[in-house]
Amino acid sequence: MKTSTLRSRLARFFTLLLALVQRDVTTRYRRSMLGPAWAILQPLILMVVFNLIRGVVDIPSEGVPYLIFSYSALVPWTFFSNGLMYCGPSILSNAAILKKMALPREVFPLAGVTVALFDLAMSGLILLGMMVWFRVQFTWALLWLPFLVLITGALALGVGMFIAALGVFRRDFVFATPFLAQIWLFATPVIYPLSSVPEKWQSLYMLNPMVGLIEGFRSVLVKGNPPSLETLAVSTAVTALILIVSWPMFRWISQYFADVL
Amino acid sequence: MGKSNEDSAVWALKDINLEVHQGETLGIIGPNGAGKSTLLKILAGVTPATRGDVQIRGRVFPMIELNAGLHPELTGRENGYLLGAIMGLSRNEARRKMPQIEEFCELGEWFDRPVRQYSSGMLARLGFGVALNVESDIILIDETFSVGDLKFQNKSLARVRKMRESGVTVLLVTHSLDTVQFVAQRGILLDKGRIVNSGTALEALNAYESLVFRLEQQRLGPPLRHRISSGQITLCRARVYGHGRELLDEVQAGAPFGIEVEFHLHRELHHPVFSIGIVNASGILCIWNVSQEDGLIRSDVSGICRVSAWYPENSLMNGAYEVHFAIRDGSSFETLDRLAGIASFAVVGSSRARGIIAMPCHWQLESYDSK
Repeated sequence: MKTSTLRSRLARFFTLLLALVQRDVTTRYRRSMLGPAWAILQPLILMVVFNLIRGVVDIPSEGVPYLIFSYSALVPWTFFSNGLMYCGPSILSNAAILKKMALPREVFPLAGVTVALFDLAMSGLILLGMMVWFRVQFTWALLWLPFLVLITGALALGVGMFIAALGVFRRDFVFATPFLAQIWLFATPVIYPLSSVPEKWQSLYMLNPMVGLIEGFRSVLVKGNPPSLETLAVSTAVTALILIVSWPMFRWISQYFADVL
Repeated sequence: MGKSNEDSAVWALKDINLEVHQGETLGIIGPNGAGKSTLLKILAGVTPATRGDVQIRGRVFPMIELNAGLHPELTGRENGYLLGAIMGLSRNEARRKMPQIEEFCELGEWFDRPVRQYSSGMLARLGFGVALNVESDIILIDETFSVGDLKFQNKSLARVRKMRESGVTVLLVTHSLDTVQFVAQRGILLDKGRIVNSGTALEALNAYESLVFRLEQQRLGPPLRHRISSGQITLCRARVYGHGRELLDEVQAGAPFGIEVEFHLHRELHHPVFSIGIVNASGILCIWNVSQEDGLIRSDVSGICRVSAWYPENSLMNGAYEVHFAIRDGSSFETLDRLAGIASFAVVGSSRARGIIAMPCHWQLESYDSK
């Protein structure tokens, strides 16, 4: 084949990825009043809600102001859950394109996660403002951020590909995604510190890959310490495992997409 | 190659063995549900074949569902870039081609408005404009030529011809038989998932028309319709026959044939007058003969009779036909029976079916010097 060298295929993949992301980012807010401010509002509203809850229920925050304690975790959390939300229906909503051209199908869930990355950048600006306001020390530990974002994105992609592929056959998987995200949120130390999890549950709790990641984000952003390598290693390993299973499964199922859609 | 859910299920395509060379234009025709679109989807790589394999040299560009992927909130131009990316254009290629695409679509200022405001014809033009400006080695076209007005259709056909001249292989699925005849060199006829005819475009078209006429004939064939009867006659048998009085379902174009009706009279008939009409599939009466006018004069008949009409010159155009029959008493002018569809037959031959009758035609062209 004349044109299907790896390089040209990759170039084509990224052109398409970029076009899909551009489509989703530009069209999402085109007919809304607040526009891209919605990307900022999402974690901000959650933060306000949890701060109100904290007025009733006592939630420890390890000596850090609770506003920044919760927001520094809600921003990466929103990235993860948005990634899942955008990935899940990505095959269904791009059915028309899928049925028309032979394309690498991974591009659709990957575009979903990339769009979530834009939201992350937007809400990250507010986080930056808050860090300045609360006089958080900026340290070299911040250099861990790209790696943390990468692993979080990879995890969202891994789980999202499961949902996207299975959702083509049974919509239930897509409908269940918001609930999965909700439960997952409470099983992750986003609004409460890791230290309030009972000792005997800790080892099981740590198997949730988001635990190490959220703890990592908080440690790097607020506490100025590098993440705990041990928990981060667990998160990375579990993420890799999920990807190793879900990617080939997605590939295998994807050949039947056009028949079923 | 072929596809199905299970072995026992219906195969959309089976035993397809097809080779298309570079630069050829192949028309794929057949009735609805024959597997034409499935074949294109397999060639495009969108659907895998359950069995068998496909080998393709070069970049395939399927012009299937051209508007798939358009986003209603994006403008024509933004959608152009999106479609370009879907169809495999790089950002730079797309940017370079955009003026050409804009010009081809003839959308004017609408090109920079959201496509949700477009009419269906405008949407189609946008999709077509992008598709025809993508360079590829092989293009698969599915039923897309019916978009736009006549001028746009001609423009699109001209673009396809230009592609063909530059060595692009074109596979064309369409119900517009004239498009196949004038654009394609080769043709295949698909029916129920199999290739039933393969040859020049004209051969495939003839095979297709014969297939359609046979199907129509089955639809037309007896049982009788619109029977108006006095009850004084029982129709026994009606048949179409050829030279050797053999029974015919199909009459070769131009070949003589006859129609024969057997009936049982329950009373004596004075000066019987028979008429036979031949009606084509669209309900147009093509010929109508009355026995008396054609010189069959008999005084009295009764009992079992057989009347036949022989047509030594057959000018019927290829198609499916049904036979109407009526019998009258010539002295009382009373109609004993009038029957529509007592028999049916197809006329098949090697020319395209156009019009109602076939007549020999000698063409001549003279040109005069204008000076």
